[in-house]
Amino acid sequence: MSEHLDLSQVNVDELPVVPNPLLKLEGATIQFGGLIAVNQVSFEIMPGDLFGLIGPNGAGKTTCFNLITGVYKPTGGSIKFEGNEIAGFNPSKIARAGICRTFQNIRLFGALSALENVMVGGYLRHKTSLLSGLALWPSAIRETEELKEQAMQLLEVVNLTDVAHARARDLPYGKQRRLEIARAMATNPRLILLDEPAAGMNPQEKEELKEVVLRIRDEFGKTVLLIEHDMKFVMGLCEKIVVLDHGEEIAAGPPSEIRSNPKVIEAYLGEPV
Amino acid sequence: MNLGKFFAVRGFSVAVAILGCLALDYAAQTYLQDYIVRLVFLAGIYITLAVSLNLINGITGQFSIGHAAFYMVGAYTGGTLTKFFYDASPLGAVAWLIAMILAGAALAGVAGLLVGLPSLRLRGDYLAIVTLGFGEIIRIIVINQPELGGSSGLGFAPKVQGLWLVWLLAVICVAVCRNLLKTSHGLAFLAVREDEVAAQAMGINLTKTKVTAFVIGAAFAGAAGALLAMNEGYINPDLFKMDVSFLILTMVVLGGAGSITGSVLAALTLFAIPELPRLLKIDVSLAYLIGLTAGAIGFVSLLRHHQQRYHGPKAKGRMITVATVVGVPLAGLGLGWLLHTFTYLSDQTYELNNLRYVILAVTLIVVMLLRPEGVMGHHEFSWKWVQKVLTGRKPVAEESIS
Ligand SMILES: Nc1ncnc2c1ncn2[C@@H]1O[C@H](COP(=O)(O)OP(=O)(O)OP(=O)(O)O)[C@@H](O)[C@H]1O
Ligand SMILES: [Mg+2]
Repeated sequence: MSEHLDLSQVNVDELPVVPNPLLKLEGATIQFGGLIAVNQVSFEIMPGDLFGLIGPNGAGKTTCFNLITGVYKPTGGSIKFEGNEIAGFNPSKIARAGICRTFQNIRLFGALSALENVMVGGYLRHKTSLLSGLALWPSAIRETEELKEQAMQLLEVVNLTDVAHARARDLPYGKQRRLEIARAMATNPRLILLDEPAAGMNPQEKEELKEVVLRIRDEFGKTVLLIEHDMKFVMGLCEKIVVLDHGEEIAAGPPSEIRSNPKVIEAYLGEPV
Repeated sequence: MNLGKFFAVRGFSVAVAILGCLALDYAAQTYLQDYIVRLVFLAGIYITLAVSLNLINGITGQFSIGHAAFYMVGAYTGGTLTKFFYDASPLGAVAWLIAMILAGAALAGVAGLLVGLPSLRLRGDYLAIVTLGFGEIIRIIVINQPELGGSSGLGFAPKVQGLWLVWLLAVICVAVCRNLLKTSHGLAFLAVREDEVAAQAMGINLTKTKVTAFVIGAAFAGAAGALLAMNEGYINPDLFKMDVSFLILTMVVLGGAGSITGSVLAALTLFAIPELPRLLKIDVSLAYLIGLTAGAIGFVSLLRHHQQRYHGPKAKGRMITVATVVGVPLAGLGLGWLLHTFTYLSDQTYELNNLRYVILAVTLIVVMLLRPEGVMGHHEFSWKWVQKVLTGRKPVAEESIS
């Protein structure tokens, strides 16, 4: 066909712009023994999306994150990031490709300070060699200083400047959750995955968190995929939502549709929200 | 940063380190008895061994307990090469010694690579078993190798004593670990220790980090081994038995896993405890022994009770601690003095030398009961830290750069 197409006749500006999806799951599946934790899940996340992943306990949401970030290798299907297959890559490679996450059961570097935790996030972009570090060469010192400055700025975004030098383990729960977000942001990802970022927060903290997530998207231009059980939070924040139940995708769409979807109401919401 | 100034400062500190070690060497050889020179030599070796194991164990969190294996690889590399190649080489004694240090470090580094690789799959106890097993395997191989002297050991000439090189090695080892923790590179190692899953999610290459720690740690131990071999002119497999591994491990744990200064202090203390009584040649009577034992038991139980039960004001708490630390051992001594009036108890005397392992064991028990995280915990010794401890403010995340 293409032989007959005269490219000079095509006006590029008039072609509809179809952006490529940032993340594309196609039939992603993982089976643990007899249990299919994620079953044929497919969805697309566009650059700049604020995307929600919801569903009852044990639906397979965290497992989905684990597939995307390489903690588990899918037993079927494909996961493409910016058009490249990433299924089965190891987690550090995926982080370096531009996907970073937070953990549902907080996993900070407990004995390190809040600032150092965020600095670890920025480490994957380091340029100086280990040798220059061991020799305490000026380039290594400079890079460390730069990392520290960037980390300080991110701590400001999540409003943790005052506890920068406190040990991560000693911080209260809500601050630990925000610290995890800052640490993930420090890797400078294109896609950031937040696993129940509002869990255990009081209403005021949740409002602040909402602001932070919006800033991450609007100011820093990150694409966000988040898991959350607080429906008010998800519906008020996300623009697109996918619903999982028993590992299967039962609905997808904007909050208004999800809210009134009978399947979702039956499986998860209980009553219309 | 101003580069000219940097090179001036760096050049100066390197020169001070080298001259300092040379001065120590000269002073020791001139003023000290041979036996004590040997102790100074071994102290430098043990500092290197403890600090290098701390890199693997304390900083990177890989529970390796067979450090003597790397020490042995270095020693046998130095010994064997000297035995077979020294005569044919054009190098002078000191140049040869330096070459042997590098060779020992290189081969031990390779051994570190071999042992480090399983650490990717094995955690905790399992890794410990592998590292310990590796040490035993190396030892058994050597015992069964007539070319390496078998179980009766390997003799070679010349002996080259490099006291200054031993201490220079210790200084370099401490500096390398400290530098690591001062830059962002160190954070990667600490992150692996704290949480492997999170470290990987942050893009840290687990394999590279763990194996690097093993290779560097093993290389320093190997260099120490080569120095030991060249100092003695004779080595045998018994010098590298499991108890040496355990002694090094104890130094790291006692000093506080992850703390470089802690490892140095613990290495010196644990090394000195069995050696000092031998030097002092003191006899203690049963009376004092009873008094001091009572003092030690009272010390531990009172301090533990205080640690666990006291909730009053900080300043008062600190005063009670100081009073216990000073008062109870003195009270023990006093009790000994009183008991000394009974002839039965004062006639019975023991050489302190024979009790040295008892003293070592008691020290370990006391520290582990009172400070299970090690004397220094995760902290480094610094004047700022001392100030904070004395003024009672809790030091926050002293451990590295911030
Ligand atoms: N490594 C594993 N081995 C076996 N089963 C697993 C494993 N990981 C997850 N599962 C199972 O997969 C199912 C989905 O778990 P997942 O943690 O993804 O749920 P979730 O949707 O995140 O739930 P929650 O809202 O409670 O966090 C659960 O039944 C869980 O027990
Ligand atoms: Mg979950």
